[in-house]
Amino acid sequence: MTTPALEISGVTKRYAAHTAVRDLSLTVPTGTVYGLLGPNGAGKTTTIRMILNIIAPDTGSIRILGVPHHAASQLDRVGYLPEERGLYKKMMVRDVLRFLAELKGIDRKTADIRIDEWLERLTLRTEAKDWGKAKVDELSRGMQQKVQFIGTLLHDPELVILDEPFSGLDPINAQALKDTVVELRRRGRTVIFSTHLMDNAERLCDAVCIIAGGTKVLDGTMAAVKGAHAGRTIALALESDPSHEIRAILDDRTLVARCDDHGRSFEVELARDADAQTFLRQLVSSGASIQRFERVQPSLHQIFLERVGATGVEPGMSGHG
Amino acid sequence: MAKLWAVIRREYLERVRTKWFVIVTLFGPLFFGGIMILPAYLSVRSMREARVADIRILDATGSGLGARVAQRLAAPTLQGPSPTTAPVDELRPAELATRESELIAQIQRKELAGVLVLDSGTVASGAARYAGRNASSVGDMEAIEGAIRQSLLTARLTSAGIDAERAETLARVRVRLKADRVTDEGLGGSGLANSIFGFGVAFLLYFSIIFYGQAILRGVLEEKTTRVAEVIVASVSPDVLLAGKVIGVGAVGLTQQLVWLLSSVGFYTQRAKIFGAMGIEGVPQVGLPSVEPFVLVALVLFFLLGYTLYASLFAAVGAMVGSQEEAQQAAQPVIMLLVFSIIFAQPILTNPNSRLAEIVSWVPFSAPIIMPMRMTATQVGAGEIIGSLLGVLLASVACVWVAARIYRVGLLMYGKRMSFATIMEIIRLRRSD
Repeated sequence: MTTPALEISGVTKRYAAHTAVRDLSLTVPTGTVYGLLGPNGAGKTTTIRMILNIIAPDTGSIRILGVPHHAASQLDRVGYLPEERGLYKKMMVRDVLRFLAELKGIDRKTADIRIDEWLERLTLRTEAKDWGKAKVDELSRGMQQKVQFIGTLLHDPELVILDEPFSGLDPINAQALKDTVVELRRRGRTVIFSTHLMDNAERLCDAVCIIAGGTKVLDGTMAAVKGAHAGRTIALALESDPSHEIRAILDDRTLVARCDDHGRSFEVELARDADAQTFLRQLVSSGASIQRFERVQPSLHQIFLERVGATGVEPGMSGHG
Repeated sequence: MAKLWAVIRREYLERVRTKWFVIVTLFGPLFFGGIMILPAYLSVRSMREARVADIRILDATGSGLGARVAQRLAAPTLQGPSPTTAPVDELRPAELATRESELIAQIQRKELAGVLVLDSGTVASGAARYAGRNASSVGDMEAIEGAIRQSLLTARLTSAGIDAERAETLARVRVRLKADRVTDEGLGGSGLANSIFGFGVAFLLYFSIIFYGQAILRGVLEEKTTRVAEVIVASVSPDVLLAGKVIGVGAVGLTQQLVWLLSSVGFYTQRAKIFGAMGIEGVPQVGLPSVEPFVLVALVLFFLLGYTLYASLFAAVGAMVGSQEEAQQAAQPVIMLLVFSIIFAQPILTNPNSRLAEIVSWVPFSAPIIMPMRMTATQVGAGEIIGSLLGVLLASVACVWVAARIYRVGLLMYGKRMSFATIMEIIRLRRSD
């Protein structure tokens, strides 16, 4: 087995008023796309900042590609796109990128070649216009996002960490980002991204870790996580609006742990001791005319809600999970 | 090291490339040169414009005073081939008023530069009047006054029984005595030059520290508000970023001052040519302050340390706040420290060896401004200078240490301003936080 791209073991970060991350351990295999999931305030950004040695953990250790993350030049192997994005407004795009590359130990000549490649790839440099020569604040928001993106990947990092990468992206850039993530994975790079949007994670990730309130709730490959939660989720569709009796059954917590209500269709998660057959019998005897009753693989969204619930969000800690 | 260099280069180039830097750096010397040359140029010009000999003298004294004054007025203008003496009209007091108004009309028509009226009371009281286009020229008026004074003196000596030739000699002696007194002021003036230089140094240091300190504050704030700081500290440690910023901006300041210094030296050595080109003969004498090499070295050290001290404080302020408005407010205490130093400059300059002066040049926050001023304005013991420098050095180290801590944490604290309690907490925290 190859060296994991990232190993976090027993990491804790306390602040005066609260514990942001508590005894977190996780392993990200090389060459995978890894989702760090959790509600706002779960400790995602704190974790990412600890990985990047921006803040130091109180306890625990972090290894990047098998080497402690605080070792000299180790962070040159990592690319980082923070949640809060921005660039020097008055600087020329090319100069900003060159500067960011230099901070990662890339010499100017190499940087210039790659900058040209990237600008052309993301259509910031065409026959008509070279945005590389424009000042950052002359660019549209979408173009600035592209530039930021180039800055993250310019030094061809082995590990790419994206914090809430989809927030604030227009659909075109979001698609470009997804394509790039897939492309990075194909080239054997490792991508870790945090998000609270489960749809993106479900489509992109090979493995996930869900954290809430600073603690790990679960982790594993997508297949393993889904497998562990399979068989207890039922897709239910009715021909008419549910009657009071049916509502009572859906609200019965001994039978139904959770119900994602869409009016006439429901994603039902059975209670731990409940049995699908009993549930179906009860529905039928209450006069429900059932259009669909199917055991399904739960969506990541469903698993997330089940395991984190509404209680996972620590109050008073918004924004910088 | 390569990364520190990258940070320094960015800070330096981005600032040096701005229009403002170019304007201030290039036009600063032009401006200062201008305010140095212009008064000299104007005064010399006005002196030449109306030669004091180009006036008419109305003498109603009946004692020949007018002729004497005319001779004396002709004497001091040494330039040019023997100047003509001013014509003298000797007339009776009764005719004076009519003739005077005639001449004033001539002056109005620019046929005449001015008219000096010596009436019947002049010999006794020393009162005379002058009307002319050059009445505002201090030099001309002094020349006329001097001529009258000396002529009167000769006249009085003669009337006291001393023969005319002897009286003339005596009056000449008086003239030279007066000149000696001027030179005497000049001797004190070398002290004055040092004094002015000292104040100039203090003010330049004050100005540079405040100017570049604020530049650092704005730079830190920009990185914080644009969120670019987070990308950077994921690549280099905040300490490297802070150091690069302080060094880079400091280098910008040094560049600017070097340009100013070189252009001043250039101007000083070429001043004869410059004045010559402007048609001014006789180079205004500029007393050069005498500064020992040791003092010069200490001066540079005071600037570097003082700048570092305040730059780190300004950086900490920039990291503490979230907006330009907050920054204005939060920077007040730091600016007050500087203002406090410059407020003491005036009283200390008048009395550079007072107890107050000594105390203020030991306080690390005012020492970088006050001590350089004192050392250039007067003699300060080497021990005192070195002691004060060490004090500033220690204070700088402490300030950099505290500021680096605040900077580390503050850089990523968005949206809220740090409370004093938070700052104290940060300072007590382990370094890694």
